[in-house]
Amino acid sequence: MLPSAASTAESDGTTIELSSHSLVFPDGLVGCQAWKNFVLLTDDKEDLPVAYLQSLDEPHIRLLVTNPLLVENSYAAKLTEDDRASIELEPTDQSVLYCTLTVDAQGNITANLLGPLVVNPRTRRGRQLVLTESSYSTRHPVAQLQEA
Amino acid sequence: MLVLSRKSEQSLMLGSDITVTVLAIDGDRVKLGIQAPRTIPVLRQELFQQIQAANAAASASAGELRRIAAALHGRTTDPATTD
Repeated sequence: MLPSAASTAESDGTTIELSSHSLVFPDGLVGCQAWKNFVLLTDDKEDLPVAYLQSLDEPHIRLLVTNPLLVENSYAAKLTEDDRASIELEPTDQSVLYCTLTVDAQGNITANLLGPLVVNPRTRRGRQLVLTESSYSTRHPVAQLQEA
Repeated sequence: MLVLSRKSEQSLMLGSDITVTVLAIDGDRVKLGIQAPRTIPVLRQELFQQIQAANAAASASAGELRRIAAALHGRTTDPATTD
């Protein structure tokens, strides 16, 4: 297990202090069933709108995640009964949604809005949804990476 | 791979609680009905592969947290939750 505090090295040589919150995805991610245990790494000081979801099962897997409402301000995801049961979501619990981000070689940032991650902060359980009834894509354009 | 021939309205069983029924055949399109427990996710393979590829691609962006955050700069909102 990682310690509860960690830091990450940026490509410009600086570091960011991160705090970690352990999460379990009992079913793994879609197509990546072995990725069950994660820590969510968020920065303490700068309040960055992005975070890492670090796999503990595959140490080289570190997903970049953000709040999908920053990508699409009308974003909505509906949970099934099975989704709720999987993350033990009670009516009094407030779930939190994340979407993964990808940066391609040209610096285009895209978001996977079709397969968001839902987390129950109380139980620290999560699940990847597939919004089959939606028209969201796995490569929703977000922004262009600015030159360093 | 197991290969089975089925006619319209015939079914096959996967284990004892998943039934796949051929509902209609129209040219090169086959309409299937799937009965499975709710805990079994049923997805078109293309969709499954798209999400799988997106998961793999999202893990290749380490080391750029501040630059990516800068690209999202100015966007603020409440935490996203579900219905």
